[in-house]
Amino acid sequence: MTTSLKTCFAIATALVAAPSALAEDEAPKTSWGVPDLTGTWDFATITPFNRPERFQGREYLTEEEYTGWNDGARRGREQRDLAPSRPAPETPTQGDVDVGYNSFFIDSGKHLSPGRRTSIVVDPPNGRTPGNTMAARMRYAEMREKWEHPPRTPADRPPATRCLVGFNAGPPMSSGAYNNLVRIFQAPGHVGILNEMINDHRVIATDGGEHMPENVRFWKGDSHGRWEGDTFVVETRNFRPETNFRGSGPNMHLTERFTRIDADTLRYEYTVDDPEMFQGKWSTEQDWVRTDSDIYEYACHEGNRSLLMQMRAAKQQYDAGNAVRDETWLPTWYKWMPRKADLLAQQAGEE
Amino acid sequence: MQNRFAMPSLATAAVALLCTVSASTAESAYEVPKTPDGVPDYNGIWQAMGSAHWDLEDHNARQGGAPILGALGAIPAGRSVVEGGTIPYQDWALAQREENRANWVKLDPAVKCYMPGIPRGTYMPFPFQFVQSKDAILVAYEFTSSSRVIHLNRPGSEAELESWMGYSLGSFDGDTLVVDVTAQVPDTWFDSSGNFHSDELRVVERYTRTGENTMNYQATIEDPNVFTRPWKISMPLYRRIEPGARILEFKCVEFAEYATYGDYYTEEEPTEE
Repeated sequence: MTTSLKTCFAIATALVAAPSALAEDEAPKTSWGVPDLTGTWDFATITPFNRPERFQGREYLTEEEYTGWNDGARRGREQRDLAPSRPAPETPTQGDVDVGYNSFFIDSGKHLSPGRRTSIVVDPPNGRTPGNTMAARMRYAEMREKWEHPPRTPADRPPATRCLVGFNAGPPMSSGAYNNLVRIFQAPGHVGILNEMINDHRVIATDGGEHMPENVRFWKGDSHGRWEGDTFVVETRNFRPETNFRGSGPNMHLTERFTRIDADTLRYEYTVDDPEMFQGKWSTEQDWVRTDSDIYEYACHEGNRSLLMQMRAAKQQYDAGNAVRDETWLPTWYKWMPRKADLLAQQAGEE
Repeated sequence: MQNRFAMPSLATAAVALLCTVSASTAESAYEVPKTPDGVPDYNGIWQAMGSAHWDLEDHNARQGGAPILGALGAIPAGRSVVEGGTIPYQDWALAQREENRANWVKLDPAVKCYMPGIPRGTYMPFPFQFVQSKDAILVAYEFTSSSRVIHLNRPGSEAELESWMGYSLGSFDGDTLVVDVTAQVPDTWFDSSGNFHSDELRVVERYTRTGENTMNYQATIEDPNVFTRPWKISMPLYRRIEPGARILEFKCVEFAEYATYGDYYTEEEPTEE
């Protein structure tokens, strides 16, 4: 090996080593001595939520698998970006309209979670969420029935369509199609969480405090925080009846854990405890990556032309006497929802 | 006779002087606490009182937009919060304001639960909370769960995009928090009485703590398209001190849907498939 090649290798090694040297920095503290969670964090990720079959029995990817997967995803993106747009189909489907985003608009993650986990779900140990209960599936069937209506009022549309909740801002926060940034603010006694998705915010007291009585319920639940060592733990309950995270219900008891791992990483874990809706408790872990990007204002309701057009179209159908409740008005991304008749038949069969 | 008149006026002058002295002493006597990062501390839950959100200028009590609510839907009288009493509109703009006012129920963006913009967000009849980090302050408003970030570490920067709540740059002038707000969309109003602006609006806010639980709020409003000169509003803000005070959730979209989409509501039922 020549000297110049050796030098090249040394430089290359130094370049590769640099990010991990940074990552080993100690987690910063605020000027009043608690872990510093502040900054803008990107929770978009390509790590699968549930563990894929091929990783059965394995919690972590190897370093090679991790790098290879990230590289492959990058190449796929580059190819898609260069590919010509799909020509408009002669017979458009509903999906061409209600989920007709192009790849410019979609921002659902470019990297695996740096912790190299094979799934976001870490408990149960198989890395997969326990099934929904029959009560949760019945609730889905009721949503299907409601959302199959040509909307008589906006209440016939899903809450995210009405800009009442974001589909990824939670709580809990979970990587979605876009707007996966969150900014955290801290003052003695309070942590402020600002989600880009519909500008949702939570200001959480760090001294615990009592939860609201059961009759007081919020779209984002009632959150109370406390420090457990270097981890900020937030307990949230009292959700509104319409809230739904992967089938969760109004009585979900959510525990989120925020831990600053190093300068560029914040570990976000949460546990969903909702025996009415899930066949067991389950927990997740994801490493959020610090970003210099700003949070932009997402004026969801102010710019909601979609709901306006849906209301107008439905009114025309009612006025023309051809308003029909069928699958047409059910959004493409909810076609999987069970039908009540099928669930009742299944129940009868089991008895 | 002259003496009898001279005495009271001297006394009045003395009292006025004393008042001035004691007022300025009281203000300077309050030492604004510092955050652990060493800057004036504006953390807390704050709220305006009064009826500026109905009308910035002097106004009578009047019927509100929902007569079915009776006394509870009526608008209370209020004193002007505008320095000099009235807003210095250009002629065309005053005519526009009157037209807005006549149709406010239909036109007021806050009726539709749109984000109120600045300064209106400050004096909506809802609390807001400052969460003061080292580099930025989160302002979390209860009304429609709106928010803005006051950047403390990027003086002189400009917004990349306009927005409903604007682009806020904060700095400290002594103990006063000064916030320069630009890049607001032209769609917000200042109150429910049709007072409006264009996309050239610039608002310079000054928050000055005057005690443990009070501060003075002043905003200078500049918009060469609409006004003949910059003008000011000011009012006190009060800390919410009751036990358990916090920003609750007022996601008003669901309460404003009828006002927004009501023309398309129906009581008919669809045919079943």
